[in-house]
Amino acid sequence: MMFKDFNIFFRYISLKQFTIFNMLIVTLIFIIGLGISIGSFDFSVLKYFSGSLTTLEEEVLINIRFPRVILAAVVGAALSMSGACLQGLFRNPLADPGLIGVSAGAALGAAFSIAMSAEFFPDFLFTPYLLPFSAILGSAFVISILFIITRGFGFEGMTYMLLAGIAINAFAGVGIGILTYISDDAELRGLTFWTMGSFGGVTWTLIIPAIIIILSTIFWTLRISRKLDLLQLGEPEAYRLGVDIKKLRFDIIMSSAIIVGISVSLTGMIGFVGLVVPHLVRLFGGVNHHYLLPCSALTGAILMVSSDLLSRILIQPAELPVGLITSAIGSPFFLWLIFRMRKK
Amino acid sequence: MSIEIKNISFAVNDFEILKEVSLTIKKNEILTLLGPNGSGKSTLLKVVSGDINPKSGSVSFDNIMLDKISIIDRARIRSVMSQSQDIIYDFSVKEVIEMGWLEGKEFVTEKFDNALNKVGEECKISHLFEKSFNKLSGGEKRKVHFARTLIQMYNKDFKTTSRYIMLDEPTANLDISHELQLINILKNKANEGFGVFIILHDLNLAYHFSDKVALIKEGKIHAFGSPKEVFKEDILSEVYDLKVHFDTSTKKISYY
Repeated sequence: MMFKDFNIFFRYISLKQFTIFNMLIVTLIFIIGLGISIGSFDFSVLKYFSGSLTTLEEEVLINIRFPRVILAAVVGAALSMSGACLQGLFRNPLADPGLIGVSAGAALGAAFSIAMSAEFFPDFLFTPYLLPFSAILGSAFVISILFIITRGFGFEGMTYMLLAGIAINAFAGVGIGILTYISDDAELRGLTFWTMGSFGGVTWTLIIPAIIIILSTIFWTLRISRKLDLLQLGEPEAYRLGVDIKKLRFDIIMSSAIIVGISVSLTGMIGFVGLVVPHLVRLFGGVNHHYLLPCSALTGAILMVSSDLLSRILIQPAELPVGLITSAIGSPFFLWLIFRMRKK
Repeated sequence: MSIEIKNISFAVNDFEILKEVSLTIKKNEILTLLGPNGSGKSTLLKVVSGDINPKSGSVSFDNIMLDKISIIDRARIRSVMSQSQDIIYDFSVKEVIEMGWLEGKEFVTEKFDNALNKVGEECKISHLFEKSFNKLSGGEKRKVHFARTLIQMYNKDFKTTSRYIMLDEPTANLDISHELQLINILKNKANEGFGVFIILHDLNLAYHFSDKVALIKEGKIHAFGSPKEVFKEDILSEVYDLKVHFDTSTKKISYY
């Protein structure tokens, strides 16, 4: 079964694309090593394997540096994967979980659970998981609304989707503002720290389930590559080629909601990654989804680990929010994209 | 072996687009649907291909009701070429044609490559395979979509009693030589055993290449039969609300 899937996968990607895929894996491993080694506290990863680290160094490596870098990689992969899937679903190169309000929906859901969980679920057993769960609900809700608004617009849907995204972002901003206003001191503290968004301060207990869910959702989503390709012909055409459109739509909405919801709940809102990465990957080697989806995930991971690294070393010993770095790279890229579309 | 269309009615907001339409699309035949704009041609094609459900009436493929056939099985017995042709992302021509190829139980590369070469020769587009689809001219894009529609029917792994090709104005944007080329391919397909259901606007083309012609006006089948039976000056003039002349010696239709 696995072997069959593997075979079909190779049928659809070219040698060039496979080479890019391998290069990305090597780069990712290298950059993760770099991310673990460099920081306010430098040491070589190799020293860990030779056992010559002090107890303190080992503590920093295992419980601070390593979870942080891994989380950055997984969140980068998740946001880029979601961007690539949404751009395919909406047949719209400007779709990005942040830009069109999906991340904001997740943020509102998360903020709601931070500010309200004490009122509604005082002694709830699963309180730590309430935050990711309500973030998922928030993002699923937004994607569904976007889909209803933009269907039937065809190619002009692009404009309407971005406008709807502005509205949803604004609405989520209002919601988070109100929640901030009515929060008590402890909740406010939680809310503020969370909104700033960072990979710092994560613990294994929280990120292990997140990593498992995100990675399995990503692998599960890779199976729909072919259907996403067919969808580019238009929904009626894909239907005529045997694609169950309603199921495909549901699958993409759910997988995007899950991976973006969990990412946002853990790290806050990190903009532009989902927009920029699929475009870069298309520029490198092609647009078919058997290539685009896995390579977007890898490139997203590379980009995010590097951005996190930059955020830690640029103004030592202080730390920049990583969202600042991704937006600094992403927003000029977005303008360039619009400029390029105008020339077409 | 045929598609039986029985008493199909279809309405949008009480406006009846199709009224009690009945037709038979047989294998080995080209059935051409002709009629003025807004007469319900494309809607009928959508009902027959299974895109939309009729208000009443039934469609059956080789005696199996269409609504009992799964979406995947439908893709194996009929392919549809519609008028839309834009694709946002920068796929290569080969990739676009490949989208039409239906995977069997396992993907056999040789089978696909053979089908691709065959369709490339038939449509004379082999030289375009590596090009970017979006950089092609309107006519070339049509031909690529046509090739995609053909290749969908080329995987012999699936056991089907007969296969059908449906096309909604495939010759739009094509110059006369490419138009003729496309129609000749369809003629070959009909000889090979396919059933062909095609919407055309060009009356002369329809007359010379169809085995059966259906004239539709305001959602009703006005006339149905062989081109010789249907192409009468009075019938054509009534359908198009225009004085149509039919020169029986040259077999040419003129209307101006």
